[in-house]
Amino acid sequence: MNAMLKFIVAIVALTAALNVFAAADLEVNTPGVNAIKQSMQARHAQLAGHYTSGAVGLTADGLIALRDAGAVPLAQRQAVNALVAAENNDRNALYAEIANANNHPEWQAEIRSTFAQRWIQRAQPGWWVQSGGGWVRK
Amino acid sequence: MLRAVTHFQKQLGRCIQAALYALLSLSFTAGAAEFSLNIADIVAPDFSARGITLTLPEDGSADLRIAELHVQQRGLRNVSLHCASFALSTASLSCHGGSLAQLPGMALEFDYRFATASWQVSAKLRNVPGKQLAIFLPATMPLPTQGKLSGMLRISGEASGVAAVDADIQMAEVGFSDASGLHAAEKLRGTVKLAAARKGALWNWQGNIAWQSGELFWQPLYLRGDHRISASGSLDGARLKVEQAIVDLPEAGRVQFATLWDMKQGALAECTAHGDNLALDKLFSDYIKPFLDKGALAESHLYGRADVDWRYRNGATQSLRLALRDAGIADVEQRFALLGVNSEIDWQAAAPRTANIIFAGGALLGVPLGSGQWTVEMRGMDFGVAQGVLPVLDGRLELRDFRLHHKEAAWRWEFAASLSQISMEQFSQAAGWPKMLGTLAGSIPRVSYDGGAINVDGALLFNVFDGTVAATQLKLADPFGRAPHLSGNLTMRELDLDLLTRTFSFGNMQGRIDVDVNNLELQGWQPARFDARLSSSAGNYPRKISQKAVQNISALGGAGAAAAIQRSYLRFFENFGYDRIGWSCKLRNGVCAMGGVDNGNGGAYAIVKGGGIPAITVMGYNRSVSWDELVTRLKRVTQGNMQAVVK
Repeated sequence: MNAMLKFIVAIVALTAALNVFAAADLEVNTPGVNAIKQSMQARHAQLAGHYTSGAVGLTADGLIALRDAGAVPLAQRQAVNALVAAENNDRNALYAEIANANNHPEWQAEIRSTFAQRWIQRAQPGWWVQSGGGWVRK
Repeated sequence: MLRAVTHFQKQLGRCIQAALYALLSLSFTAGAAEFSLNIADIVAPDFSARGITLTLPEDGSADLRIAELHVQQRGLRNVSLHCASFALSTASLSCHGGSLAQLPGMALEFDYRFATASWQVSAKLRNVPGKQLAIFLPATMPLPTQGKLSGMLRISGEASGVAAVDADIQMAEVGFSDASGLHAAEKLRGTVKLAAARKGALWNWQGNIAWQSGELFWQPLYLRGDHRISASGSLDGARLKVEQAIVDLPEAGRVQFATLWDMKQGALAECTAHGDNLALDKLFSDYIKPFLDKGALAESHLYGRADVDWRYRNGATQSLRLALRDAGIADVEQRFALLGVNSEIDWQAAAPRTANIIFAGGALLGVPLGSGQWTVEMRGMDFGVAQGVLPVLDGRLELRDFRLHHKEAAWRWEFAASLSQISMEQFSQAAGWPKMLGTLAGSIPRVSYDGGAINVDGALLFNVFDGTVAATQLKLADPFGRAPHLSGNLTMRELDLDLLTRTFSFGNMQGRIDVDVNNLELQGWQPARFDARLSSSAGNYPRKISQKAVQNISALGGAGAAAAIQRSYLRFFENFGYDRIGWSCKLRNGVCAMGGVDNGNGGAYAIVKGGGIPAITVMGYNRSVSWDELVTRLKRVTQGNMQAVVK
């Protein structure tokens, strides 16, 4: 009986937590979020070709990764590495900034995973995305 | 058919020093005069061979076939070695004119003496495809993918293992890559020479690489050909020692170094490096910058030449001697530059030193800086300048108690300064701002950076527009990040409206105003929040507002408001008197909630309250407006697109 009660309390708490998170405004508009989005937008033109070639793919944790360096000429490999690092910096900052703007810094992990799903859903056919621990071509 | 079973364990065991289970079956075909020897298995750590057949035709040649060969977890099937001349006696075994079916272009010789267990293998390579060598190399290292190798390789040893290696290999269009692609090369052309000999457990080696052309990416370095390196040293099980190495870096100069590499820790144990007259721009951009994280330095160019002497031990730099000749640094975005730097810097980790740094000039945010000489006190990672003068245009910045130090994995700095009599006209032009009049002078009580935020203690005071500006509680968080966050309060007193309106071509106004901007917050240099209030200063002074200014203020309230004036008799006057000016804006969430001289009644509020003759009162009707919209209108007005029409 006691176990049953605990289970019900846990379910209620979990549902409440989900409901609370459901209130997060992912489109929140602050100068900080805008600055990061602009920076990501400016970088996208440089990254798009590498998504198409398969050199760079979208990871399951809302970031991007160099998955096939061989698809990039040697002279540009470090530049692509730097692009990936800069993009990931921005993405991490974006998730933190959105959580802060919602006045719930502790929501960062949920915001990240929601974005991760979103990026992967919106990925163009032919891009590589991480799924179930491996890379698959959309 | 005759079959005999013998055990060769004793002799072969000496040769490969490993567990060996050999079962030999000899078959002798009487009619064909051919002798054939079958060995079942040879098994050793990192090495196994199964299905070995040695066939000895009558002509003195030999054919060795191995059905399955495993070397370091790589498998090879049907290895076939042909020896043009094969000799086996009680004293020795030798193969001359050998060739491997897998590696056309390679001529093999080997020799084994039973009494001493000494052996020697040598190979002559003539345009051997590099790709075919890949099967002999461990999968964890970068493997050849293209190109051809020529030259000589000789390995010899005795019972205790390999004793000497000698190689002289020419590469032609060679490429290699590891699985991640982060260590790769293409179209390498050049020569590699290596001679190594073992005495007991210690190897002594010397080598020489002349890399003529091709490209190499060894993360994060990307290098092109024309590099030369010659080095010698030793290697025991734990440490790789480079006693002396000379490296010629194209367009950068020659660097000599010696190092001790701890192979167990995978770390540099000791290093000394020396280079004279090195070209700093190439040295920095090709060999140092790739290792730097994103930051001001990583986005900079270096100039000039330097002698460098670096000593590293116990996990830290022990000394760095730099002789700079006309050196310079400038960041890519032209925010900062220091040029014509000459100095002898003799930095020691454990001893205090002083350096005189002479510089010819520079720039900060587009504002030119003059020449100067600073004395820097160095105590390890703690650098101080007691007093330094930096000429800025026609005035100067005097720096006091500057201190830069490294603590808890971050650089921190602090300073106090005063700025004297800089012409605002020159300063604003240099900074690309609208031309301002007056002089800039001020005092900076103490600015500090703690690795995360820049803080200003006390009030930052400036004299501009014949009034004063005080900035208090200034704090800039994440200054070098994506979205720097600035907070603070601004208090401006008795600014001259005449100078101000002339600067921003707003239409002439005369008088003095006080401006308070409290709870100011900028994110990514964009206003996110503030409580601003602008009002006429107390005291007696001429108060006049021009027709154009009235129209512009009205235009800020939205199109159409200005038209009202043109319909009234007021359009006959060029200037009006006023009693008070007042305007406030509370910015929250991108919306500015506005007010005037007083709170007004109903929706309307007075921005300019009339007084004198002819008097004019300008009313505002919008209580809230989007900040972006207000800025757009202000820009339109100050750019003069909105001309006052006086009919």
